[in-house]
Amino acid sequence: MMWRPVWGIIEREMVRMIRQRGRLVSAAARPLIWLIVIGSGFNAMLGNLGPQGYHHFLVPGLLGMVMLFGAMLVSLTVVYDKEFGVMRLLIVAPLPHYWIVVAKVISGAVVAVVQAGAFTLLMAICGYVGSEVSLVLLVLGLVATALACASLGIVIAVWSSTLDNFAVVMNFVIFPVFFLSGALYPVQKLPDFLKLVAAMNPFTYGVDVLKHALLGSAAPLLGTDFGVGLDLTVLLGFTVLATVVACWRFSHESAAGLLQFLRS
Amino acid sequence: MTGHNASLFNAATAKLAIRTAGLCKDYGTLRAVDTLDLEVPEGQFFGLLGPNGSGKTTTIHMLTTLARPTSGQATVAGHDVRREGVAVRREIGLVFQDSALDRTLTVAENLRFAGLLRNLPTAVIRQRSDELLDLFRLRDRRDKPVATLSGGMRRALDMARGVLHRPRLLFLDEPTLGLDVPSRRGIWRFIERLRREEGITVFLTTHYLEEAEACDQVAFLAKGKIIGRGAPKALVQSLGTYMLEIESEQLETVIASLSRRLGPCLHDGEKASFRIQEEHFDFMDLQAELGNRVQSVRWRRPNLNDVFLWVNDPTLSASVVA
Repeated sequence: MMWRPVWGIIEREMVRMIRQRGRLVSAAARPLIWLIVIGSGFNAMLGNLGPQGYHHFLVPGLLGMVMLFGAMLVSLTVVYDKEFGVMRLLIVAPLPHYWIVVAKVISGAVVAVVQAGAFTLLMAICGYVGSEVSLVLLVLGLVATALACASLGIVIAVWSSTLDNFAVVMNFVIFPVFFLSGALYPVQKLPDFLKLVAAMNPFTYGVDVLKHALLGSAAPLLGTDFGVGLDLTVLLGFTVLATVVACWRFSHESAAGLLQFLRS
Repeated sequence: MTGHNASLFNAATAKLAIRTAGLCKDYGTLRAVDTLDLEVPEGQFFGLLGPNGSGKTTTIHMLTTLARPTSGQATVAGHDVRREGVAVRREIGLVFQDSALDRTLTVAENLRFAGLLRNLPTAVIRQRSDELLDLFRLRDRRDKPVATLSGGMRRALDMARGVLHRPRLLFLDEPTLGLDVPSRRGIWRFIERLRREEGITVFLTTHYLEEAEACDQVAFLAKGKIIGRGAPKALVQSLGTYMLEIESEQLETVIASLSRRLGPCLHDGEKASFRIQEEHFDFMDLQAELGNRVQSVRWRRPNLNDVFLWVNDPTLSASVVA
């Protein structure tokens, strides 16, 4: 029954994604720079890793990065909407307020999956995605990771009242989340303390499931860290938990908090 | 409240579009709206008038479920604003004080977005958007980004968006704020037409009091309290037939001599205004009597602004017949 309003919110994010060219370009350029600079640097340092170089190992992490940034930018619109008044239109719509949060999480995930899908194609063309790819697992992994990133972004967004505020928090979240995952190095090789932190980071499991999908068992040296079942369970569990927390906060605080903000 | 009482309250509000009883809203220690009692029958054009910061917007926010009342009751279209927020929001349209359009979207996309949020089928959205854009002469801007529109055009689009879903009840929060005269006229013509053709209830707030003279009923709000209410025409008539404005450097003595005959006056600085109740008042006689003690003497018909000023003055409000 709520599909039309939810579709309306998703459609708006898609239109905005396509219209903001700079956003699309930077979404593609950022991981490419990482691939070329960090990928080549590490590859040279690590020496011979077998048939697949470090580049192959890095691709799942970069897919995760694409989704982390893509989803974060959509959750940024929650704050943007508060600042520019569009949120008032959403909260006077005849639907319970938690649907707004759910719709924003889905929009973030859709935008992230679209961008990551495009990046996967680009990587395949460049030859960094081999024949060992499992398409079903790749789609599952992309969707689950995108949902986890989007819900993480929304949790931060419902607690931020201004764009500046959100930008600061984003910097403190995105980079630790990215570095303290298996995106750049296998979790198993980390010191115990960092291994613990990485194990608590839901993004780790997103990168891991993408490694399962893209690398298969072809890279024993720089391989996966967990089982696919655990990866997907953690990602979906985190998504549900974060979305519920965000819905609770938004339903209770949005109207009152937003209006107080507008009065100030 | 028990179930029985609740049903009685609802039965009494069946013919009322809006009813509030003892409605209050506090922001910290500030009481923004103070024990508000309102009754707006279906189909009425109601105006809530008052200066900036008097609590008009807070009242609209409570009635449209954007703000939770601190205490008291309010029903809108028969639904409790606290317990049945979604049902209230289904019946109403709201045009905000400042534009709430998405600047990155086009005119048509903004309407489509609002229509989808209202659960309208896309075919209906397209058809009504075209009608409304024709009406507001925005047809040629259909596919232009909102960022390229002028202030008046944006307001018109806000208005179109507020009525896209054909609400039974339309809330307008300062709809003409910052607009030029032609845009204002266009907006008032549209409201008039909506009322005539669809019979919708309109709840208006404004601090341009002269614009509220088309209302069926107005209430004056000052510091969160209603200080006077009635039909604009009756309120203006009850004030008097003329307002007499006098400027003088010896204002105190002039007031002293005139107030015996004309009653109390409203004065600020160098100007005093008196109410004249008689239909055939002899102003020539008065002018001769005042002689050169005054700089200027003017008389004119009273308007809603005068009513507000008189009821808002604690020393005078008792002398104005409500």
